Amino acid sequence: MIYLDWAASAPPEADILDAVRDVSLNRFANPSAAHGPGRGAEAVMSSCRARLAALLAASPREIVFTSGGTESNNLICLSLLARSPGGSPGARTRTVVLSGLEHPSVSEPARLLEEAGFRVVRVPPDHTGILEPQRMADALDESTVLVSVMHVSNEIGSVQPVEEIGRAVAAFSGRIGRRIPLHSDAVQSFGKLPLTPGAWGLDAVTVSAHKIGGPRGIGALWIREDSQFPPLLRGGGQETGRRPGTENLAGIVGLTAAAERKCGRMRGDLEIARALERRLISGILDIPLARIVPEGRVGAAEDAWSPYIVAAAFPPIPGEVLMSALDARGICVSTGSACSARHGRLPAALLAMGYPEKTARCMVRISLGARTTTEEIDAFLCAAREETAVLGRMAGKGRR
Amino acid sequence: MSVPVEEGLFLVKYGEIALKKGNRGAFVRRLRQSIAAKMPDLQVRVTEVWHRLYVRFRLEDEARVRTALEKTYGIVAFCRAVAVDKDMVAVTAAAVALAEGLIREGRGMRFKAEVRRADKDFPIHSHEIACRIGEELLNRFPQLKVDVHDPQWTVRVEIREKAYVYGPETRGPSGLPSGSSGMGILLLSGGIDSPVAGYRMGMRGLALEAVYFHSPPFTTEKAREKVVLLSRILGPYITGFKLHVVPLTAALARIKERGKEEETTLLMRACMMRIATMIAQRRGGQCLVTGESLGQVASQTVESMRFTESFADLPVFRPLIGMNKEEIVEEARRLGTFETSNLPYADCCSLFSPPHPLIHPHFDSMRLSYEELEVEPILLECLGKMESLAI
Repeated sequence: MIYLDWAASAPPEADILDAVRDVSLNRFANPSAAHGPGRGAEAVMSSCRARLAALLAASPREIVFTSGGTESNNLICLSLLARSPGGSPGARTRTVVLSGLEHPSVSEPARLLEEAGFRVVRVPPDHTGILEPQRMADALDESTVLVSVMHVSNEIGSVQPVEEIGRAVAAFSGRIGRRIPLHSDAVQSFGKLPLTPGAWGLDAVTVSAHKIGGPRGIGALWIREDSQFPPLLRGGGQETGRRPGTENLAGIVGLTAAAERKCGRMRGDLEIARALERRLISGILDIPLARIVPEGRVGAAEDAWSPYIVAAAFPPIPGEVLMSALDARGICVSTGSACSARHGRLPAALLAMGYPEKTARCMVRISLGARTTTEEIDAFLCAAREETAVLGRMAGKGRR
Repeated sequence: MSVPVEEGLFLVKYGEIALKKGNRGAFVRRLRQSIAAKMPDLQVRVTEVWHRLYVRFRLEDEARVRTALEKTYGIVAFCRAVAVDKDMVAVTAAAVALAEGLIREGRGMRFKAEVRRADKDFPIHSHEIACRIGEELLNRFPQLKVDVHDPQWTVRVEIREKAYVYGPETRGPSGLPSGSSGMGILLLSGGIDSPVAGYRMGMRGLALEAVYFHSPPFTTEKAREKVVLLSRILGPYITGFKLHVVPLTAALARIKERGKEEETTLLMRACMMRIATMIAQRRGGQCLVTGESLGQVASQTVESMRFTESFADLPVFRPLIGMNKEEIVEEARRLGTFETSNLPYADCCSLFSPPHPLIHPHFDSMRLSYEELEVEPILLECLGKMESLAI
């Protein structure tokens, strides 16, 4: 099997899963319990919290463990429902500003907010798949209560200028005399690209373990110490009340280990990934009919793109068809994000960038990881060239 | 009581079969077999007494038996029954037990009692029996109220060779027992219409085997899984249901290569009819069944269907031909296939539909186009790769 769907889920690291199993067996006590084993579990958890915080140049108090990316993103968005609007009820419109690139775990809770009476403004990226900070700033007004911009697009791999957007939001906040919180979904960048949320002026950041070789079902939120995101879930007060529920200590150990490993190797991995990315992109461009999506990625500044995610289209072959053909040859890629593929949705990023549905339907996403090799990239390119030659004839126009 | 406590009893009503005069016996036998075939692993006894079917089962199997009866064509309705000795103490005790269950299920407090005294030798008259039962129930459950005009539930009692006390009726699918009208091959896509077509013909007593045309990579594994899921909903109604999966990609390639673009869909449908006919010949099918509805899409006009059905040497039944889409959707919802059919995985029709398909094809020139494909050997090759799944 050639696995090029790392952005959907990365293969787990065996020794990290061993550590997870070990903690599950030997540190099973509830970290909130006052007895010895409970205090022992609490000590392991505190150490993980501090180590994870260090990776984000943050304070341990700013880390909240959750069940993963979806929960983290929901917690931030839906916290608005747990907060009173201030002033007379219903008198004030509250606005949420999102990028047009967001993952369904942000865009769907935003729809729920819309149903609850919030105004939701979606700022589309430019034709290269990147948000202009000025356009984000222009979308802010007195009624804005939350801004959310993902760091790396899960569909096309563009890196959003979160730091500049942070400055723009801070400047606007200064003018209205009220801090507008800025959240970023960093599930596709954490451990892969530099991320210093505090220094960038962010208020909350979402990270997840299974995208970096850790176990499923564990993630975290970084929440700036003075920021308030009251949770909808209430319970036993764990995570200082921000995320109640008995802590998943084994998962926390897995997340921390995976994060430390990935962050420690970030620079080296990035260099290798950039070389693979260049090989992949130039190989794709060599295939008749093929294009990189968006075209503007080719020749653009490297920093603006995650080398781990490459989107391409081979019109007129529907992405789903090419994915199936490659699947039959043991090569795993995806169409858009896995979450969208299940529901037959088209890649949101492409639609937001103004691509016609016809092109969006043809997109495939090739996503790489730390263990991806040049041989795998070459095997993919070879298979894609052969399959698209056959399929192009069949999916294209017939005899007139 | 003559029925041991661990045994339960359903009374089954069959409608149309009762009208079959001379053939009634054969139909009833078919119905009994069809009930038994649904639960081969259970101890279920189906008996006929005085033109009624009784299904006896172990109490622990009640839920499964109920589900099976709900999916048995030929059954109009069935109800839980208790057979007791013909004496008033036993009858009222059974009525009390029944009422207790219904109250617990929250079915309401307004009730009535209905009595039929088929055995005229029984000394107490119907009205008197009903009064005594009502009185006893009101004594035991003071919150109950008699309402003969608009009851929420009814205790039915019949005095026959034994005394039977019945609970509320559950509807069956009606129609004729599965297999009593022969066997057909259903062309099953992943869409909304074809499962409904299968259900309808099944209701008329047709046993079915389905064929799905799989065209990897143009149809994904997910699309095939969806058809398996649909088969699992439809299959339990039909005795001996099977799903045959035939890969059609090679034939599609030939159509793309030699066919005219606007004729793609029709040629593809023609190939499907050919293969379905061949399967029918092998499997003993006597007809084909499709989910076509007149004018719904280009391949479902009168001219198109005349062309495509010319490749079937068997009658082609299209039970949805005169139905509107909304009606079909409503029926698919009732059947429980709609949500699955509505999953987004494209079937090959939607990927291969040309932008401007022929709507009113010319019969002779289409037949010629088909001849020019020289596709028959390829179809045999496709058929050779058929996979058959018992559902």
